[in-house]
Amino acid sequence: MPKPAVVVENLVKHYGKQRAIDGINFDVAGGICFGSLGPNGAGKTTLIRILTGLIQPTQGRAWVAGFDVSQGPDAVRRAIGVVSQAMTTDLDLTARENLDIYARYYGVSYKERRRRIEALLERVGLTARANDLVASYSGGMRRRLEIARGLIHKPSILFLDEPTIGLDPQSRRVVWELLAQFRQDEQLTIFLTTHYMDEADFLCERIAIIDTGKIVVMDTPSELKKGIPGGNIVEIVLAQDQSLTEDRRLDTLISKLSSRPFVQQVIQKEGGALTDSIRLQVYVTNGPEAIPILMGMVQDEGFGLQSIGLMRPSLEDVFIHYTGRSIRAEEGQKVNFFIGAGVPRRMGG
Amino acid sequence: MITRIFAFVERDLRKFMRNPLTIFSSICLPIVYLLVLGNSFQGSLKNLPLGLVDLDHGPYAKRMIERIRSLEVGPDTVEMRMMRDSGEAEAQVRSGQLKGALIIPPDFSKAVFRGTTPQVGLIVDNTDSVSAAALQQALRAAFSALKLDAVSVRPNRVVPQIRSMELYRKVDYDASIVPGAVIMAIFMGTMTTGAFNLVMDRFLGVHESYLSTPLTKGELVLGIIISGVFVTTLIALVVLGVGIWLTDLRVAAGVSSFLAVVMVIALSAMGLLSMMCVFLARVDHPRIVGLFGGFLNIIFFFPSGAVYPIESFPAWLRAFSKVNPESYAVHALRSILFKGMNWQAVQADLLFLSGFMGLMLLLSTLTFKRTL
Ligand SMILES: Nc1ncnc2c1ncn2[C@@H]1O[C@H](COP(=O)(O)OP(=O)(O)O)[C@@H](O)[C@H]1O
Ligand SMILES: [Mg+2]
Repeated sequence: MPKPAVVVENLVKHYGKQRAIDGINFDVAGGICFGSLGPNGAGKTTLIRILTGLIQPTQGRAWVAGFDVSQGPDAVRRAIGVVSQAMTTDLDLTARENLDIYARYYGVSYKERRRRIEALLERVGLTARANDLVASYSGGMRRRLEIARGLIHKPSILFLDEPTIGLDPQSRRVVWELLAQFRQDEQLTIFLTTHYMDEADFLCERIAIIDTGKIVVMDTPSELKKGIPGGNIVEIVLAQDQSLTEDRRLDTLISKLSSRPFVQQVIQKEGGALTDSIRLQVYVTNGPEAIPILMGMVQDEGFGLQSIGLMRPSLEDVFIHYTGRSIRAEEGQKVNFFIGAGVPRRMGG
Repeated sequence: MITRIFAFVERDLRKFMRNPLTIFSSICLPIVYLLVLGNSFQGSLKNLPLGLVDLDHGPYAKRMIERIRSLEVGPDTVEMRMMRDSGEAEAQVRSGQLKGALIIPPDFSKAVFRGTTPQVGLIVDNTDSVSAAALQQALRAAFSALKLDAVSVRPNRVVPQIRSMELYRKVDYDASIVPGAVIMAIFMGTMTTGAFNLVMDRFLGVHESYLSTPLTKGELVLGIIISGVFVTTLIALVVLGVGIWLTDLRVAAGVSSFLAVVMVIALSAMGLLSMMCVFLARVDHPRIVGLFGGFLNIIFFFPSGAVYPIESFPAWLRAFSKVNPESYAVHALRSILFKGMNWQAVQADLLFLSGFMGLMLLLSTLTFKRTL
């Protein structure tokens, strides 16, 4: 087994009374893609900043590429590439200038720089725009440039903090493909943070779900999904109905469902993308057996049933299971149940 | 190490070059300043409106008025307005139409004739103390000449005469503040480059990118200062050139004086840039730079001797001038530009500026925050 790329021991970071990182331990094996998944404010950026030597931990230790981040930050910096959450390329420089100047910070030689810059520009699809000021770039282009810049000195570990935040779906997809490709070609270890389930699911072999500065659970995506109690979720979509707005009837239904011994948890989700129908996710011990019973109960309560079916658990469900709330609740976004479940995994373990 | 510093310097310079408005303003503002200050302070005051009420109409009153008229046409100190009523004259001083009013009392000529001390009333707006003092001084001079005429009974009175010997070619007031404009350019340069770039990077969060590279504290500080010194020195030299041309200043030309000027400018810029690095070590909002800039500009500039001679300051301000790097820069530039190149005359200035720079460079490296 390759030696771990990252080792974290009892890491703590306080901001005044706020515990941004509250006692974290984990290892990241060399060569894998590790994801730290958590909602806004979970402590992901703080964690990545400690590992990349940008801030000092309050307590605990961390080793990156075999070097202690507090003792040998310089050695760590040479071994890693960093793509931070905020876009940090210089707007009034061109892409090529950005890359060239950054490469010189690492002491990359002139010859090597020229070769590497052209190759990276080509790989991230910016060759044609290489001499344009970054100010004229779209968010996706700028993010690709930042990834190229993070790799300019051939690091062995690439840290990315929310690499696709704020990008449109196509650009996100492009960034994912790029990262998957680079990882293979450059034999990279990737450490990324994200609050997107699908991103972690697509890219990472190991995921640590982190919330309020603590690791809630850590495993492979498939193990995490298997870990949901009962392993079965029945999704019930109630037909559109005027009286649905009467919360009391719905509450009665939910409490009746919850009181059944084979039901572990009932989660209500506000409508789908197109309708204002109501979805209920019922966590049960045995899905196939539960479906007819649940159907009967819904109809007994006088609700029309639009659909009922078994759902494969997604990371979203994993998150809800471990933290008791939706990962994206803070953003006020609706949750699409197909996230995670429908995305093919491109990167075999 | 050098490659890394110069990569950082190049980044700043390229960014600066892509901002023509900044370059343009850094050059133009000190020149506008030179023009405004050069033309608003002409050394002595001029055209102060003075009301004159003659209640005497005697021969000495006439002479008095003639004296004042000669003040009016000669050095232009006053602009005389004859009036009849002392009440009205006072009212106009109060309203600000006049800077002062001179009342010649009815028995003035008689008093002069009798040899008793003649009394003339001067009403001044002493809220405008600069004008009031100038008026009093000019009138006292006119008055004492009159008295000498009148009391000519003692023929052997010895009056000490001052004959000044001018050591150098006379320098007009607006030309004499050219060094001030250059200092202003240096100061503005240090406010818009160097640590300001750092604050902007922090403000935009861009600094996170280079803090995660192997750049060391010392390299970062040097990079920031070198790019700042380069830009600031160029701007200051352009301002100096334009200033010399505008004010028609005859400077002692020559390679050594040019080198000395460049040295003074670069040393001052380096000292001030390092000082800004110390002050702004933890600042991450450009607004603070604006506040600091306005404040420090006044604090350093006016006591530097660029506008008023240091010798006339109260003791505490003179003490401050002794540690103010701008005083030394002004002194050195004045020496080189007005008196000709003489290393000995600027040795102390160069020494102080180097010491200041060294201290500030050390402090800026010590205070620099290498983490976020
Ligand atoms: N510089 C800081 N000062 C004070 N509190 C901070 C600072 N940075 C982060 N925090 C707090 O620490 C917690 C974790 O923040 P962060 O690591 O940015 O979370 P994430 O990246 O997961 O959204 C948040 O509650 C945040 O408010
Ligand atoms: Mg974050």
